[in-house]
Amino acid sequence: MSGDNEGKVGAIGELPRDIAPARDLWPGIAAAIGAAAAPRHRRSWVGARPVWALAAAVACVAVGVWIGRASLAPPSATLARSGMVQDGVAREVSYSPDARFLRTREGLLREVSERLAQLPPDVRTRVEASLATVQRARADIESALGRDPGNALLQEMLVNSYQDEMRVLTTVREIGT
Amino acid sequence: MADGGVASMDEALVARAGAGDTRAFERLYREHVGRVHGLCLRMVRDTQLAEDYTQETFIRAWRALDRFEARSRVSTWLHRIAVNVILERRRRRELPVEYVEDAAEYDRDNDTLDTPVEEAELEATIASLPQGARDVLTLCGIYGYAHEEVARMLGIAEGTCKAQLHRARALVRARLESGARS
Repeated sequence: MSGDNEGKVGAIGELPRDIAPARDLWPGIAAAIGAAAAPRHRRSWVGARPVWALAAAVACVAVGVWIGRASLAPPSATLARSGMVQDGVAREVSYSPDARFLRTREGLLREVSERLAQLPPDVRTRVEASLATVQRARADIESALGRDPGNALLQEMLVNSYQDEMRVLTTVREIGT
Repeated sequence: MADGGVASMDEALVARAGAGDTRAFERLYREHVGRVHGLCLRMVRDTQLAEDYTQETFIRAWRALDRFEARSRVSTWLHRIAVNVILERRRRRELPVEYVEDAAEYDRDNDTLDTPVEEAELEATIASLPQGARDVLTLCGIYGYAHEEVARMLGIAEGTCKAQLHRARALVRARLESGARS
């Protein structure tokens, strides 16, 4: 027995443990467990949830933002008429989210930008458009708040805009998991 | 990621899958399919059968999610299911498994070599082994399971398992040697 062959026998434990199948077996498994899982009432709801949740989140955000943008003009107009805006220069926004929230949001944005690439193009377009609308609305609110920092309605709308954005982001993230 | 992290992630996925989350189960599949398929392929030596048995393993795992015990590793649990699938199919196909029963003299395992290996040659040699020896060598030698665990998986005595491993290694040595001479 040569030392070389003895070494090979000893190296059996170093052979790769993972050998991927030549084809993706998941579709067959998914089909089988879909049928098998029918009595699990929770499953069908859970399986369908992300798509519906995303659609609902996008719809809610769209409605919320539309209402928000529509209600922005009066405070600004009122402010301008009342002379609270001095020399046309907007003051700093008095409201800002806390640092932990901002870190969470940044993390979510990074995660979601990766997940978006995995979504169907039409869904991705809608989500991106929805997020862009939320962000435009927030810029408008912040601008209005800059002119009227003590306006409680604007502050609430700003908080709502972050919540709307978080709802879309978390829904997209859940879809990707 | 550390083993503990992988295990806890697997457990979380099992819990979610057990609640009916097929996406969580798909992640488990993606994570473990290579290892399950590798085991099936080595035990049955047939690509088509290995794929069928791998698929069957995950389908059975889905149905048995509520019986998964957290003290087991998911990979071990899946391997147990895979071995059951293979043994059942063998019985149906009436292929006898050949096991050596005289284990007493083979209880010690002194093979501790660790030099680099020519994988293809070694895999081909393992594939040429008798079924019983090949099963034990695959589970103990390649996947690192203890004799006790392998004996339980295969439904054989622990001594038989040790004997099979010894026999398998001796056969591999002899076949590599004869291959080198020819």
